[in-house]
Amino acid sequence: MILLEAHNVIIKTTLADKLNKPSTLEVSFVDYDGVRFRLSTPERKTLLLLSMHIRCWDELVKYGALDVLRREYGSLLRDQAEAGFNVSMEIDLEQVPAGAEDREAFINSIALFKRNALAAPFEQGFKNQKELEAANAGQGELMQIHYRDEEAIYIQAADDRVTVIFSTVFRDETDRILGKVFLQEFVDARRLPALQNAPQVLYSNRDPPLEIRHLNLPKSEDIGYVTFVLFPRHFSNSSVTATTISHVQLFRDYLHYHIKCSKAYMHSRMRHRAAEFQKVLNRAKQENTSTEKKTVSGRTMVAR
Amino acid sequence: MSQLAPIICDNGTGYSKIGFAGNSDPSFVFPTAIATRGSPTQSSRAPAVPSKPGHLASKRGVEDLDFFIGDEALANARTPGYGVHYPIRHGMIDNWDHMERYWEQVIFKYLRAEPEDHYFLLTEPPLNPPENREQTAEIFFESFNIKGLYIAVQAVLALAASWTSPRVMDRTLTGTVIDSGDGVTHVIPCAEGYVIGSAIKHIPIAGRDITQFVLNLLRERGETTATPPEDQLKIASKVKENYSYVCQDIVKEFRKYDAEPYKYFERFEGEHSVTGRQYSIDVGYERFLAPEIFFNPEIYSSDFLTPLPDIVDDVIQQSPIDVRRGLYKNIVLSGGSTMFQHFGNRLKRDLKQLVDRRLDASVLASGSTSKSSGVEVDVISHKRQRYAVWFGGSLLADLPEFYTSCHTKAQYDEIGPSICRRYQIFGSATQ
Repeated sequence: MILLEAHNVIIKTTLADKLNKPSTLEVSFVDYDGVRFRLSTPERKTLLLLSMHIRCWDELVKYGALDVLRREYGSLLRDQAEAGFNVSMEIDLEQVPAGAEDREAFINSIALFKRNALAAPFEQGFKNQKELEAANAGQGELMQIHYRDEEAIYIQAADDRVTVIFSTVFRDETDRILGKVFLQEFVDARRLPALQNAPQVLYSNRDPPLEIRHLNLPKSEDIGYVTFVLFPRHFSNSSVTATTISHVQLFRDYLHYHIKCSKAYMHSRMRHRAAEFQKVLNRAKQENTSTEKKTVSGRTMVAR
Repeated sequence: MSQLAPIICDNGTGYSKIGFAGNSDPSFVFPTAIATRGSPTQSSRAPAVPSKPGHLASKRGVEDLDFFIGDEALANARTPGYGVHYPIRHGMIDNWDHMERYWEQVIFKYLRAEPEDHYFLLTEPPLNPPENREQTAEIFFESFNIKGLYIAVQAVLALAASWTSPRVMDRTLTGTVIDSGDGVTHVIPCAEGYVIGSAIKHIPIAGRDITQFVLNLLRERGETTATPPEDQLKIASKVKENYSYVCQDIVKEFRKYDAEPYKYFERFEGEHSVTGRQYSIDVGYERFLAPEIFFNPEIYSSDFLTPLPDIVDDVIQQSPIDVRRGLYKNIVLSGGSTMFQHFGNRLKRDLKQLVDRRLDASVLASGSTSKSSGVEVDVISHKRQRYAVWFGGSLLADLPEFYTSCHTKAQYDEIGPSICRRYQIFGSATQ
């Protein structure tokens, strides 16, 4: 596996499992960025209730998350969310499509619950861009999604592009340096001839980019800003739009995953090197210097 | 305090059990296997050095991301260029490079959690060297920057899991744990949350041996002529899991089967995995003989002959005298191979006989002047036996004390990996 997937593995495996063999269930689990899920069977074995808690739910609702979820899940969505959660949906295992492929598609769409909720501001951004292009007007509204305590995504549409800005904060010193190198490399990699169609990426440390400079964000060395510039070709049709959203959404998690993978890689090189040095040291040891020492009477001296 | 549930990670030799605290079952159970680039027989464990130093752009490889774990690793075992490794041997981590990458994918791909937001509870086998704890702490704090870490001994978690049984009144961490998985069975005495290392005993009979024994029995009776040879081991393990139970008296059981074979013989229906041909075999005496190898090992092996109850008795007799009563009173089962019906009852009965016989002998030896009040023997079976260790972890990590017993990132940064040599026992009612 090289890329992270957009769907939640636990939802997928549990649903597939329960479709074959319904049983009572109550599990809670998480997804990236502090999203909490709870999957339970409150009434009967074949009626699953899936609830989700997202930190930035109010902002998402403002940008049309409910419409997107309603479009994706229709009547599955409950009007009233379970206590302690933002949104709930009910899955009746008896009314799941019967064909193997339909069933697979159904499970997959449910596993994308979080992705779909978080896709709303992106879709809104793309829609705004279309409108602005038609009206030939300047810039759209700046959407802010505070999806983590210290980090946020900013999305702004213009008449020819949609700008997505991630603010990244690294708590750990090593991570910060690695992250900085990574992001600079990331910008450079875009220049490779093979990647000419990729969105343009900009990285700035400390100073926020112009689009969000007026927000008076706190300035510190720990903060970096990554800007993706999405052009209309990145959301020209629905399948391209979907992959763009999934990839951009997971950017932060993938960045952290990659940093951790690189650390592990370096650690294994370090362990290897230490083992090599150890070998050299061992070679320098003298071969069995202790010869048996005997007293005059022929007894052996034993060290205590 | 974090709202997000702590992550429980129980890495065993064969399978890893992974999930979130507060749940009753692990979210993932898959083999502790990792498939990486390079053949499994490669002598050097380190990844290959990039061949030529040159422009940075040319070095943008994906060696650090290119691997699979769990079921996917086994599925990719045949893919050219990949080799499968098992980073844990005999319960202990053998290859740290592979284990680090294994954890990476566990956290990011399967649990989809940001490790910086979570506390972790890991497990370790009894008699794990403290250096291993340090290594683990180093990886978790330095690679993953986790919030807090608690490394628990598997046997202690198995004791904690038994608190769910309605028969357990006091939440004590004193007891004897019988942990029987696939490869080996351990008998581990614990006193107030600490393992009595000198008294631990291992039995080389576990799940794999039972399966083999069932297969032998089926072969001897000629049942295997109808079954495809490549599926035989799988059939034997199905028979073991679905039809086997522990009987109270072998001779009576044989007589019962001979008198009414139609009542007791079962029929196992199977399907050839490739051709889809149906076949069926009779399941007879192996139903009660399979788990019998714990109690009469001589029917299976010729070099290991001590029955399980004798071993348990030995272990408790070798423990300090002041905890023996507690150890006899609270014998806890854990692991898939202890799931046979009536296993606990039989063990309790046999052990009770041993203890009573010894008490009677000592009464006789003292000239019948002093009379013992008797020793209470109890074996506790419960519903969560299969993943008892994981479940115990889930239970403990759900307690509020968990967070204060954890080593935090700040403490680690202050003191270093040696902080993990010490740990605090918590959760028990008798502290």
